[in-house]
Amino acid sequence: MKFFEFFSFTDPNIRYVVVGSILMTVCSAVVGCFTFLRKRALIGDAVAHSVLPGVCLSFLLTGEKNPFILLIGAFITGGLSIFLVEYITTKTKLKEDSAIGIVLSVFFGIGILLLTAIQHGGNANQSGLDSFLFGKAASILPEDLYSFGLVGIILLIGVFFFFKEFTLISFDRNFAEAIGLPVKILEFMLTSITVLAVVTGIQAVGVVLMAAMLITPAAAARYWTHNLTIMMLVAAMMGAVSGIFGAYISYLAPSMPTGPWIVMVISMIAIVSFAFAPVKGVFARLRKQIKNQKQITDENILKLFFQLGEKDQDFFTARSITSLLERRSMRKDLLKNGLARLTDQGFLSKTKDHWKFTEAGKVKGQRVARLHRLWELYLTQYLQLAPDHVHDDAETIEHIITPELEAKILEQLKYPEVDPHDTKIPYKDF
Amino acid sequence: MIIQVPNPILEVHDLTVAYHRKPVLWGVDLTLPAGSLTGIIGPNGAGKSTLIKAIMGLIPLSSGFVKLFGKDLDEVRQKVSYVPQRESVDWDFPASALDVVLMGRYSQIGLFKRPRKADKEVAVECLRKVGLQNFANRQISQLSGGQQQRVFLARALAQDADIYFMDEPFAGVDAATEAAIIEILRNMTTSGKTVVVVHHDLQSAVTYFNWVLLLNMRLVASGPTEKVFTQDLLQETYGGKLTVLAKVGDLLEKQQFPSREDKA
Repeated sequence: MKFFEFFSFTDPNIRYVVVGSILMTVCSAVVGCFTFLRKRALIGDAVAHSVLPGVCLSFLLTGEKNPFILLIGAFITGGLSIFLVEYITTKTKLKEDSAIGIVLSVFFGIGILLLTAIQHGGNANQSGLDSFLFGKAASILPEDLYSFGLVGIILLIGVFFFFKEFTLISFDRNFAEAIGLPVKILEFMLTSITVLAVVTGIQAVGVVLMAAMLITPAAAARYWTHNLTIMMLVAAMMGAVSGIFGAYISYLAPSMPTGPWIVMVISMIAIVSFAFAPVKGVFARLRKQIKNQKQITDENILKLFFQLGEKDQDFFTARSITSLLERRSMRKDLLKNGLARLTDQGFLSKTKDHWKFTEAGKVKGQRVARLHRLWELYLTQYLQLAPDHVHDDAETIEHIITPELEAKILEQLKYPEVDPHDTKIPYKDF
Repeated sequence: MIIQVPNPILEVHDLTVAYHRKPVLWGVDLTLPAGSLTGIIGPNGAGKSTLIKAIMGLIPLSSGFVKLFGKDLDEVRQKVSYVPQRESVDWDFPASALDVVLMGRYSQIGLFKRPRKADKEVAVECLRKVGLQNFANRQISQLSGGQQQRVFLARALAQDADIYFMDEPFAGVDAATEAAIIEILRNMTTSGKTVVVVHHDLQSAVTYFNWVLLLNMRLVASGPTEKVFTQDLLQETYGGKLTVLAKVGDLLEKQQFPSREDKA
């Protein structure tokens, strides 16, 4: 079984590849949190594409694939791209997005040009250089691991020691400058760290998709927490998972580029986060909406029982669905569900297709009716709205007024007797 | 009418500031007495925020200098606090109210080090002073506008400075919060601190501040509130725009001309 062979990590080559992939993806995920929070995702993309000409130039000049030399070349052109984007943005009328577009395509174009020239140049050493395009985790050799690993560890240490300062310049640059932090130097360091993270990551992920490793883990992690430290740890973990997976794919199918696979995995993780994260996730929000809808239906039914009770001067008459629908049109299925729920909750009691208030139900129905009428009165008095304009508004507001707000409204309106339509405002009897 | 004071806590001399070569403040000369609660008042685009940003060294000066406590800003930064506009930051940042207030302690903590227990206690105490003791661990995006403003104020208090520059601390806050904030500012000045506030409501300015700067691209007046709040000076600040001044500014921008010859 290939699976067990891989995950037992007995083969030292597999160990190198796995450790290398994890380190690379973790580094970019951690550093990417700052890129994400500073809203510099596109710059990350520009840098990633711009390291390619640097890698190629280093190879052309030295004729060998020494990882340290390639790293230096990549760092220089990557850094140059950021400098150019900033220069164009400040010195010309072009906006940042255009500047990024220009720099990215020019650098990447030159990179591809050089790469093609190298491939046709007949240098036997060049095989494998093209794996920098889309990444090839399986090609990580021990000496790569040492050099890229060293850089990665320096990055993580840098983030650890300057965590406080990097956070502050990401959140409030002006304040950081005002308290005398060397903001320019810190920004330069953070930029350098970002470039280095990109450079170390390209062997596993490749230049084309590297920006995804910078941004996606951070964006996904942001959904799970409000704490930056935890966000970084979550992002790092997500990065590690995608890194291991990338290494595994590379092991199964050595001719397959790993970058796209790593990015697929991290994207899946991100999609799951967007969908299922508590509070911010799509499903959590949907659940909340359904809950609100149920609350509105239930409170409207109780209000309806109360209004009918007022009319008949008997709040505890049992009523059928037809008699309820005579007074207020509702979707029948919603009404049925609501009646069943309210019976379960003890606000109504049911006998043979007829429902009637319990004592608790009456109190609740009365409160909704009261809030509705109070709000109508508030709108006519304080917003000078005409009495025939206030009903629809009160229909929604009656469901969200808290007891504290109710007390405040009562105080301002001085415990009024009737609403703008001369209906009596019902108060609790004590 | 610009009243100069002896032994000023802040001295601004011949300050001109330009954005993209377009001057937004022309030749400002002013001095402020220690312990004052000063309001910077003027219409939109008068350069109110620009003035305090220039004082804080956040934007380059075209000419002039600023002295705080008679010294350059870099020598006295520990004694100076700055509260940026609330909208200048992204409140969706993953941080709690306490995290933000702790940022006020960073210059005392120093590089590399983590906040100590003492810093946390100071931060909690500052949150209490602004009435947010129960919100310490609340994510900042879940705070109301007024509460966010108070978090910024607490962060400034945590700096324990001697002079505070605040950019529109009353923008977007409700009446109750505004009253609470002005109460805190008054307490700060009675205990000897100096507070400078960018403000744009004329009505409340009279009651809030004991020193007022009237600004409209240039300093119209600086002095005790009762002397500065005259019909004429207000008219001069808010009435007719100085069209020639504005036109010259536009021209400098368009022609890419330096506003000072030696700063090309």
